[in-house]
Amino acid sequence: MFDWLLWFTHPGNSKMFSLLLLFPSFCVIMIYVLTGKQRARRLEAYKYIPFLDEPDDRGSSPNQVQDNERKHD
Amino acid sequence: MRHENIEVNSGLMILLILTVISIGGLVEVVPLFYLNDTIEKVDGVRPYTPLELRGRDIYVREGCYLCHSQQIRPFRDEWLRYGHYSLAAESQYDHPFQWGSKRTGPDLARVGKKYSNEWHVQHLVAPRSVVPQSIMPNYPWLLERDLDFSDITERLKALRKTGVPYSLTEEEYKANVAAYGKEMADWLDINQAQDSLFAQARNDYDGLPNRITEMEALVAYLQVLGTMVDFSQYDEGYFVEFR
Amino acid sequence: MAHSATLPAEQYNYDIVKKFAIMSVVWGLVGMGVGLYIALELAFPLLNLDVPAITFGRFRPVHTTLVIFGFGGNALFATSYYVVQRTCQAPLANPLLAGFTFWGWQAGVGLGIITYMMGITQSREYAEFEWPLDIAITLVWVCYLWIYVQTLRRRNQPHIYVANWFYLAFILATAILHVFNNLAVPVSLTKSYSLFSGVQDAMTQWWYGHNAVGFFLTAAFLGMMYYFVPKQAGRPIYSYRLSIIHFWALIFLYMWAGGHHLHWTSLPDWVSTLSATFSILLLLPSWGGMINGIMTLSGAWDKLRSDPILLFLIVSLSFYGMSTFEGPLMSLKSVNALSHYTDWTIGHVHSGALGWVALMTFGSFYHLIPRLYNTRIYDQKLIYVHFWLATIGIVLYITAMWVAGIGQGLMLRGFDEYGNLAYTFIETVEFLHTPYVWRAIGGACFLAGYLVMVYNIAMTIITARREEAAIEAKLAAKLART
Repeated sequence: MFDWLLWFTHPGNSKMFSLLLLFPSFCVIMIYVLTGKQRARRLEAYKYIPFLDEPDDRGSSPNQVQDNERKHD
Repeated sequence: MRHENIEVNSGLMILLILTVISIGGLVEVVPLFYLNDTIEKVDGVRPYTPLELRGRDIYVREGCYLCHSQQIRPFRDEWLRYGHYSLAAESQYDHPFQWGSKRTGPDLARVGKKYSNEWHVQHLVAPRSVVPQSIMPNYPWLLERDLDFSDITERLKALRKTGVPYSLTEEEYKANVAAYGKEMADWLDINQAQDSLFAQARNDYDGLPNRITEMEALVAYLQVLGTMVDFSQYDEGYFVEFR
Repeated sequence: MAHSATLPAEQYNYDIVKKFAIMSVVWGLVGMGVGLYIALELAFPLLNLDVPAITFGRFRPVHTTLVIFGFGGNALFATSYYVVQRTCQAPLANPLLAGFTFWGWQAGVGLGIITYMMGITQSREYAEFEWPLDIAITLVWVCYLWIYVQTLRRRNQPHIYVANWFYLAFILATAILHVFNNLAVPVSLTKSYSLFSGVQDAMTQWWYGHNAVGFFLTAAFLGMMYYFVPKQAGRPIYSYRLSIIHFWALIFLYMWAGGHHLHWTSLPDWVSTLSATFSILLLLPSWGGMINGIMTLSGAWDKLRSDPILLFLIVSLSFYGMSTFEGPLMSLKSVNALSHYTDWTIGHVHSGALGWVALMTFGSFYHLIPRLYNTRIYDQKLIYVHFWLATIGIVLYITAMWVAGIGQGLMLRGFDEYGNLAYTFIETVEFLHTPYVWRAIGGACFLAGYLVMVYNIAMTIITARREEAAIEAKLAAKLART
């Protein structure tokens, strides 16, 4: 009944096994990332981060530095 | 689930990265340690004697592995040039392995007993005196320096901890007698390490009967490479089962 | 982006970035010098001079350690400390500990090369450090991770920018690889025996070796690319979504590919086949990264005509594309049968190391150093000179190695009409002499370009210091008058 499990223990089958496992997950990731207009716009918004680092006239002080992740919980 | 959840949480990101990068190693490397047919079952492969081991240490010290491989592949040209392809069993006591990654010089996996001791000494001191086109460096200091064997016991003990069957107890010694015969079991006994080193040095590998030089150890090591397995005992099909 | 609050430049810790950048340039100079010397040793063995410390076998790890960990490692410390501060808009956490990572890393590299020349080595390629140094390096690395993550956590920018993902993956993966590959039983302070033996030891070493390339020399430099290419081009990265896919795919796939260094050896067939499969899949994320970088310039290609720094960055990405195509090709068993053990491998490594890693570093440094010192580059024309010397050097180098590698591979498998070997081994060594000389010439060109950069950077820093001193003197005079 559980004989088919033995198939997984054979190292020669690891290539097929990993292919069966990985290809669908790759497809799911691709679909998530590349579809949906709203999602696309949202995900692309973050590419401007490197351009926010030039000093501006707001001149915040180092005291404002905070633990950004702790703030949320 | 949004990808942003990962992008704003360094802890989650670290966790996911660790998971993703661990899989490959777990699937490919870990099984090699417990799968039974990774290493072929053959007779004759034994640990290096104390003198050979010191020679191997010198081989490592001088970085020989950067130009010489010790791994023959199953091709016709390599068969003709070097001999039978290397078995995993033949390097099972190699800590660390010396398979190499580049052949600026020829493979040395089966160089043992192919040349005389005198040839090796001459070739190591001045390679171009025997092979004019050679680009190997000269190693004259190997013949000038006396071999340091003061810590040979510690070396064997360290290797024993990794699983190499050097004997420390009576039981282990007896097991070695059964596996390799009395004479070899004596040489692989940690309690008699220095004596066995002296005994083997009487073969005078370096051509200097009154001294034990680094050359002595290195040539002793080179002369044993690839000579442990008697391939005439095995049918070729036997090794293929392990591939 | 209402959350973002930028910091004035003074708040960033530039001091540590400067130190790492300067040491990167220094180690790089020594490392490439040693590289040229060992290249000449192979062409003219007389140069070994019968001095143990500089024979090829001991000097080669000195070269690889200096360029990978000295030049590359310091460049990564410098740029990662810079990028994490700028993209998080937060100062570096724990400056004292950052100072420790600096001195610890320099000590590790320095002691490493001294011990190699003394013949103290583990004989594991790119991990030759003996165990006390391994422990010290682990300590430095843990501090590095700590500083990096703490800086990330203090960010004033809600999102972690993609460059930081790559740096983070590089730091984590390097830690894992380093620890497992260096497990050993010590004999004394200067000698240890690897815990594993034979086939398991080989696989562990090449799992490490390949991923040292994959994470140290690729993922981390992609992090560099994701910051410096957009900044220098003045345009955001081509596609952030592509970067998401290519990041996860790259770090996942790389870890499987190490076995292709051991094709046709005593390694079981299933590992070797699996590794080859994943090596070929690896082409996709690699090219994803290349396309993302190069296409950043789409619509602004004319910038290449006026900006030599962009020229460095884009050509670097092209070499990245080329060597990540060559890599999967060489991981095919049939190709590997010819290429393995020959100079083709050496050429492949250098098209990655010189073409991708070094050119990316040069481009980033030309961008970075004037900003660190609040000045402009000393001489823009010299950047062009450097660029052409470097490019010609790389092309000569890899062409020579193709000739050497493929030539030797074909000679070794040549048979005459009676089925005997057509060439002896030593005949192939004789054949290698000419390509070896050309390789040395290529390397010398590259090094000459490097010297131009050293001069340019040194003059930039000196000028910046002078300007600063002049301004201070002016201020002091003004104050004295009032």
